[in-house]
Amino acid sequence: MRLRYLVKKEFIEIFRQKELLPMLFISPMLMIIILGYVVQTDIENLPVNIVNLSRNKAAYRIINRIERSPLFVVKNVYNEPRDMVDALKSGKVKAAIIFRDPLESTPGGKVPVPYPEIQVLMDGVDSNTSAVAAGYFNGILKNYILSDVGKLGMSMPVEVKTLIRFNPELKSINYMGPGIVALLLTILTLFFTSISIVREKEQQTMDTLLISRLTTLEIYIGKAVPMGVIGFIHMTIGVAVVMFWFRIPVRGNLLYLVLAAVIFLCTILSYALLISTLVSTQQQALFFAWFSMITFILLSGLFTPTENVPGWLQFIVKVNPLAYLIKVIREIFLKGNGIEYFYRDLLSLAVIAVVIMGVSLLNFKRFIAK
Amino acid sequence: MKRIKAVIIKEFAHILRDPTSLTIVFMMPVLMMFIFGYSINFDLENVEAGIIDLSDSEPSQNLVKKYVNNNYFTITDLKADYPSPIDAGERLLKSGKLKEIIIIPADFASDIKTQKTAEIGVIIDGSDSNIANLVYQYNERIIMDFTSQFRNIDDILKIHTKVLFNPEVKSAFFFIPGLIAILLVMISALLTSLSISREKETGSIDLLFISPLKSPEIIIGKTIPYIFVSLIAGGIILLFARFWFGVPIQGNLFVLLLFSLLYILTSLSLGILISTIAPSQKIAMFATLLITLLPSIMLSGFIFPLESMPLPLQVVSRIVPATYFLKIIRGVVVKGAELRHFVAEGTALVIFTAVLLTVASIKFSRNRKRVK
Repeated sequence: MRLRYLVKKEFIEIFRQKELLPMLFISPMLMIIILGYVVQTDIENLPVNIVNLSRNKAAYRIINRIERSPLFVVKNVYNEPRDMVDALKSGKVKAAIIFRDPLESTPGGKVPVPYPEIQVLMDGVDSNTSAVAAGYFNGILKNYILSDVGKLGMSMPVEVKTLIRFNPELKSINYMGPGIVALLLTILTLFFTSISIVREKEQQTMDTLLISRLTTLEIYIGKAVPMGVIGFIHMTIGVAVVMFWFRIPVRGNLLYLVLAAVIFLCTILSYALLISTLVSTQQQALFFAWFSMITFILLSGLFTPTENVPGWLQFIVKVNPLAYLIKVIREIFLKGNGIEYFYRDLLSLAVIAVVIMGVSLLNFKRFIAK
Repeated sequence: MKRIKAVIIKEFAHILRDPTSLTIVFMMPVLMMFIFGYSINFDLENVEAGIIDLSDSEPSQNLVKKYVNNNYFTITDLKADYPSPIDAGERLLKSGKLKEIIIIPADFASDIKTQKTAEIGVIIDGSDSNIANLVYQYNERIIMDFTSQFRNIDDILKIHTKVLFNPEVKSAFFFIPGLIAILLVMISALLTSLSISREKETGSIDLLFISPLKSPEIIIGKTIPYIFVSLIAGGIILLFARFWFGVPIQGNLFVLLLFSLLYILTSLSLGILISTIAPSQKIAMFATLLITLLPSIMLSGFIFPLESMPLPLQVVSRIVPATYFLKIIRGVVVKGAELRHFVAEGTALVIFTAVLLTVASIKFSRNRKRVK
């Protein structure tokens, strides 16, 4: 068991980097809690201005409903005509709602119709927010009409009964939380492992390692294992925070998560070792690791769906191990799917793992031979 | 003044002597722009949806047609394709192949005929709340379109919704200007963060220490040359945004330049401060990437709306320079806003710059005293 000593040495090396040590242990907790709160894309407290030019009671009632809604924060209610575009331009409000009394021509002259006319001006820059906000606003209006509808003796011609599966409250944390767990497995393992070999190169301690009786494979594994263990601990912390702090339900079997994590760790660690053998300074290693990390995260479907990514980037999505891991983790957490739903993703992940490990190991051997 | 000029000339020599780093500085934002620009996209079209038409009547087929004939959805007829459509739908929903299942019940046609409220059932995969929200609204729009042929409750209340600034609601208009803010702070801070730590590593910092230069002079002299480098990088990014990603610049270019200059100054000062603290280039680089990129992406409103964050994080977002510049650049580029709209944001950037430079000078002279 010569390997044991190498692993022990690697752990000592990791713990010796005092300046990076706090990152290693505090950052996963901080990361998941802060990220957990940050990445919630639920739209709340949207600042709006209201211009009410209507004398109609209905307008007051609708404004009242908007004010009570947690989705909108009414900044100002004006009772005289006012230019709203300026406030929208400066970004102080995201929408302006204007109520007017249209006049109806009747034989006896013009009289106000019973409902105000409503004009909504949306800041369309954030297309996502504006679409969702418009939908919520329509919902408020519809509910108002429905509560009034009995008095009018009318009914809706078609009603949609919507059932939301897997995340009925539509909380974005339920979707993002499990994804962040995958991030925890990626970031620090990638950074720390990518400098592991090049550091020995820089400090010229690699030679000591080479003249030892360790085989190439043993050195390779010895370099990968410690960060793998730490990555696993991070993931466990992450899962615990997600389950007990954010109270995200786990519907599936966590053993599958362990399986996916192990395959993923093999991939990411061998990828990091590949970087480490290819570069010549720690600085370069960090830069490559960082750049890979950004690419992996952006094209993983963590923040934005990958379906709309153009063709040539789809290739990266297809070979991105993080994309598969995130998909599997989400299915396990949210949908409670069994392995029959994601065995294909696991297989793809395994294929990627084997390929990267192969390339990385070959390169490592060549590096050692030099 | 003359002494600051000397430092500036010396620093320029440093920059020009290292063309590789300079190329990286100019190439990196372009590369990042590509990856970010193409991968971040919230536009949702052709959502995979399955339909089960149990009514199989004229009105129900009309409704199905409405679903098929638009680019919100790509419709699969589950009844035609599977012997037990409900089970198949369930399975496809779970595997994520379908995002929605629409069920038109058998009594749909008779309800429509007798003017009772006809119901249809919709099952949405809620995992991604964002997508689910959009899918829900696409349904509403289609149903509204469908019911417009009947005497309609929507006629009672007239709503005119007008989307300003981004009428085609493209998410590129939102993300690309935001991306400029993020890349600019990253590059600028990275440039200066290496400048003092490099001298620490090579030992040449001692020469600066024993020179008659005052600490603020060194700090300012080391910052100024990078303004030009950052401006050029910013220009490249802006050209890409305009001509490659087709984001029109509505506002005044001069206003944009003015605010960009302020923002670059803030970012460079941040880099200088990191540089005075970090013992080596490695740590300076790592810290800069971490400090600029993560908060600028996460806590600035770049992707995630600030309004929905808990209060402590909203407070933190106030000390992230990108928060202010993001508002400015989106305002100027997309909305055509003017100088007067962003006086407060501009002032915030000025204050940031002053504080960062002061702290960096103090830190630097303290190091200097220790060495002496």
